[in-house]
Amino acid sequence: MDDLTKEFIAESQEGLDRMERCLTELEMRPGDGEQLVGEIFRAVHTIKGTTGFLGFDRLEKLAHTGEHLLGSLRDGKLAVTSELISGLLSLLDRLREILMLIEETGGEGTRIGDEDSELIAVLATLNGGAAPVASPTAVNGPRMMLAEAGASSGSSAASEKTLRIDVEVLNRMMNLVGELVLTRNQMLQSNMDASNFSELARRLDSVTADLRESVMQARMQPVGHLFGKFPRMVRDLARTCGREVRVEFFGQETGLDKSLLEAIKDPLTHAVRNAVDHGIEAPEIRVMAGKPSEGCLRLRAFHQSGSVVIEVADDGAGIAMERVLAKAVERGLVTSEQAAEMTEQEALQLIFLPGFSTAAAVTTVSGRGVGMDVVRANVEKVGGSVELESKVGMGTTLRLRVPLTLAIVPALVVRSGGQSFALPQSALVELVYVPQRDAKTAVERVGTAEVYRLRERLLPIVWLERLLELEKRNTAESHGFYLAVLEAEGCRYGLVVDDLLAPEEIVVKPLSAVLREIGLFSGATVLGNGTLALILDIGATAARAGVKPVEEERDEVEMEEKVAQGAEVSLLVFEDRARERTALPLDVVERIESVPLTQIEYAGGRPLLQYRGELLPLRDEGRVLAELEADQEGGEEVPATVLICRSSNKGVIRRTGMVVRKVLDVSGGMLLDRDDATGEMDLALVKDKLTTIHREFDVKSAPEWKEVA
Amino acid sequence: MKILEREEVELQDEDDAVSLCSMFAGSDSFGIDTGKIREVLGKRELQRVPMAPAYIGGVVPYRGEVLTTVNFRALLGMSEYVESSCVLVLEDDAGGERFGLVVDAVGGVVTVSRKMLEANPCTLEVQGKWLFDGAYKTQTGLLVQLDPQKLRPSRLAETGLFKQRESGHRNGEQL
Repeated sequence: MDDLTKEFIAESQEGLDRMERCLTELEMRPGDGEQLVGEIFRAVHTIKGTTGFLGFDRLEKLAHTGEHLLGSLRDGKLAVTSELISGLLSLLDRLREILMLIEETGGEGTRIGDEDSELIAVLATLNGGAAPVASPTAVNGPRMMLAEAGASSGSSAASEKTLRIDVEVLNRMMNLVGELVLTRNQMLQSNMDASNFSELARRLDSVTADLRESVMQARMQPVGHLFGKFPRMVRDLARTCGREVRVEFFGQETGLDKSLLEAIKDPLTHAVRNAVDHGIEAPEIRVMAGKPSEGCLRLRAFHQSGSVVIEVADDGAGIAMERVLAKAVERGLVTSEQAAEMTEQEALQLIFLPGFSTAAAVTTVSGRGVGMDVVRANVEKVGGSVELESKVGMGTTLRLRVPLTLAIVPALVVRSGGQSFALPQSALVELVYVPQRDAKTAVERVGTAEVYRLRERLLPIVWLERLLELEKRNTAESHGFYLAVLEAEGCRYGLVVDDLLAPEEIVVKPLSAVLREIGLFSGATVLGNGTLALILDIGATAARAGVKPVEEERDEVEMEEKVAQGAEVSLLVFEDRARERTALPLDVVERIESVPLTQIEYAGGRPLLQYRGELLPLRDEGRVLAELEADQEGGEEVPATVLICRSSNKGVIRRTGMVVRKVLDVSGGMLLDRDDATGEMDLALVKDKLTTIHREFDVKSAPEWKEVA
Repeated sequence: MKILEREEVELQDEDDAVSLCSMFAGSDSFGIDTGKIREVLGKRELQRVPMAPAYIGGVVPYRGEVLTTVNFRALLGMSEYVESSCVLVLEDDAGGERFGLVVDAVGGVVTVSRKMLEANPCTLEVQGKWLFDGAYKTQTGLLVQLDPQKLRPSRLAETGLFKQRESGHRNGEQL
């Protein structure tokens, strides 16, 4: 194939993509169609013009008919109907098909010369407006689906290899390469101990950083490219499934590395299919449920802490737990006893098991058993993760979380058994240092499993050197160890390592097949000092060590629900007013601090504490501070006990301090009635003693604080 | 390397002369056709890969890639070499897989006559039959010829011949 034809194909495919977007938009908003029709007309016109020049008669003939029809539309002779759009879409599919044929074989495959006569006739009738309007959809409905599937695979082949780059970016890259060469020359000419060597090294550093950034920038593509094909797909799907669906996009300009964009294309397509077919109900069911007959599918892309999140949300029926569990039992994925004990979160995870589909009937669209497991596998292959959220009757949200780029990841380099390993920062939750003196007591055992108490939760711990069968080094004995708290695929565990080295941005290099088979390393990288470090696959390590996904930490809202239900909750019991036992839900208390009175400062009569770079408003209901002040004047040095309480209100985490006289106990308690006298207190029985419990303490203190500020 | 190549060109005139790069493991000497060697890296620090089969010597950075190496001593069932070992970079003809070979030391280029090659003795154990490709009878002793194709880590994994050794070698640790 000559260059001219190649260019023609790439250009035409882009034109057709544009046309597809415009067509679906046109159907939604026929009112402001003038510009859209113009755009579609141009795309078809360009194809027609070039094909004539290149000698593709079949394409030309088809494009000509289409152009004619679009001409009438542009002149306002025809109105936009869904039949017309369907006709134009099938024209688009045919044009794509022929383009693909040309790409593969070099010819457009004419033999008899009347392959397209049927379609041309349909288009002609549409133009005439006389023929029965129902026919084109009926004829082309099922066919369209096939063509769509074919077209998407075909266009991806062409688009995967080519990339459009702004000439500006390319020029910048060339400049930087030039500078790199100059710096190299200078370095070669001067020797190591030359006075300007450090300056040269710095310049090399900045040039490489710039170069890297611009290459990354060139690889970044807006997510909108991916979203572009969905309106059409959803339209066709909605018709096949008998749904009414509106698609909304947000954050189309969010950039994502090209290779990642390709990688999540299929999972995302699958998710959208699922949402339309399984998620959104048929219009009559929706109306009965008191929802608008038209379902809404929202595709959102945004950045969140170093990764890109793509969200597919529908306002459909949501996922019914009973059905999921029943299906899982039926498919033999879990036993009925297991199913009965499952929490909602665990049950949702079942959907990701291979061979799971809750669709009542196998439709052409979905329900063939290849489902969410493939979505998850594909996303995880590129280092991403999948989250699912569902409320019955309200809808389902699927979140695909993918890293910004594959090539360079921030990581923490650790040492264990005398070797360096890199842990991806994305999986790292926190680091805990266990000093030598605590090393013996810090690790406790439940049977053979070792655990560490992290904020009163038992964290399973995994010794990296034991897992990898490395030799034990004596250095660990002398200075304690570090615990890297990692989270992957719903598993949370502590990985014991000997030492932490610097956090580094590492360049991921693939491993050979033999080493990939070990299954614990996702790659290797060359560190700043020139040595190699293996990159640990956090999820695989967890699986190897036998760490199972745990239920996610309940947040406070659920806790409060529990309180309301009168269930037993863990409480921190303390004394604030004289002889009165008061308690707080344990989950709310972050730390118990002992603070010297001198550190408590006052502003506007209110006590404040500087705590880890934050100003904490203190609550002192029992007038404990005044009491302590009095004690201090008597010459005694008394620290105040402050409970650092955390409350998250609408996603904003706020901390407050509560001054108490004495912390008494942690224990479970049964809630009684609300104390009407105070309003914000509950009464509870803790170990058969009456205790008041603070409720909503944050809500009250927040506005007060604002006044002060 | 350039010098080696030049020598090779000269020798090609003689029909039955083969130039081999000699290397040592334990007390034995081995040879690989110089044409099949991409580079001799010399002594290198190897980064060990935990849980890898015993015949994997570790990984080493090589021209922006991570090169997997095969430990020749482990293949022969010998204990680990105490001093730092030499790494050779080998590449199969198709250019598909590039890997390193770890030996005790690399000698030099030896020119031998094809006529001096004799096939493996029939009493050779099965692992040896896989690794060795006959021996050249030189004045200084036997030079065992190796076929880089058969040393590829993926091929070694496929044969399964070296699995048992691994467990014996690693004191019965799990596979």
